[in-house]
Amino acid sequence: MGKCDFCHSFLNWIIVILRYDLKGSHLAMKHIKILGTGCAKCKQMEAIVNQVVTQLGIDAKVEKVEDIQKIMEYNVLTTPVLVIDEQIKVKGRVPLAEEVKTLLQ
Amino acid sequence: METKMATEICPTTTQGRVKAGALLVDVRERDEVAQLAYDVPNIANIPLSEFEERYQELPKDKELVMVCRGGGRSLKATYYLMNMGYKNVVNMQHGIVRWVQRGFPTKGDTSSVLAKNESASCCATPAPAAKSSSCCDALNSDGNPCC
Repeated sequence: MGKCDFCHSFLNWIIVILRYDLKGSHLAMKHIKILGTGCAKCKQMEAIVNQVVTQLGIDAKVEKVEDIQKIMEYNVLTTPVLVIDEQIKVKGRVPLAEEVKTLLQ
Repeated sequence: METKMATEICPTTTQGRVKAGALLVDVRERDEVAQLAYDVPNIANIPLSEFEERYQELPKDKELVMVCRGGGRSLKATYYLMNMGYKNVVNMQHGIVRWVQRGFPTKGDTSSVLAKNESASCCATPAPAAKSSSCCDALNSDGNPCC
C-alpha cells in the first residue's frame, strides 16, 4: 500500500465514523407525539408541529395520540401536550411556531 | 408509565355506591358547580384546573367516584389518581348530563344540561349553550376549555 492509498483509506474511515456519529446523535429521527382528545387546540398544535417539521426538513415521526389511556401514561391533566423523544415539552397550551422550532433544533 | 384501564360505572350504579359510603368527586370548575351541583351527602369538588395541587385532599381509604359534566374530565382525573397510587377509584360515565336525564337529585338549574345547542360545535356534536366557550363538551369528551 502506497502512502497516498493509506491516507485515502484513513480518510474514508474517518468519514464513515463521522457519519455514524452524526446519525447516532444530531441527525437521529425525532419522535414527536401530540397528546390530545381531538379538540381544536390539539389540531392547532398538530398543524404547527407539522409545519415546523416541514420547514426545518427534520427527520421526524409525528404521532397524534387521542386514546385517553395512552395520554394518561404521561399523567397529564391538561391537553394538548407536545412530547419530543418521550420528554414533555409543552402542556396545556398551543405553542408558537418559533418555540417549536427551538425545541426541535 | 404503564396505565391500567380505568373502571367506569353508570349513574345508576353510582347511586348505589354513594349510598354504600363512596365519595363523589366532582372535577368541574367552580362556576359550573355553582350553576348545577350533584345533590348527594358525600361529595367533594376539586376542579380539574386545581387537581394536581389538591388531589392529596382525597382519602385513599374510601371509594372515590369521579364525576364531571360529560365523563371526559373525570376519566382523566381517575387515571391521574390511579397513577398516584389510589386503588379504589372509578369514573362515572356520561357525567351530570346523564345523571339529570335519569332524574337523580341535583341542586340548581338543570336547563343548561338539558338544553340542546343546535349550532354545530367543533366536536360535531351539539354543545350546550351555557358552555359555548368549550368546543369539547360533548358526552364522553373532555369538556374543558383548555383541552
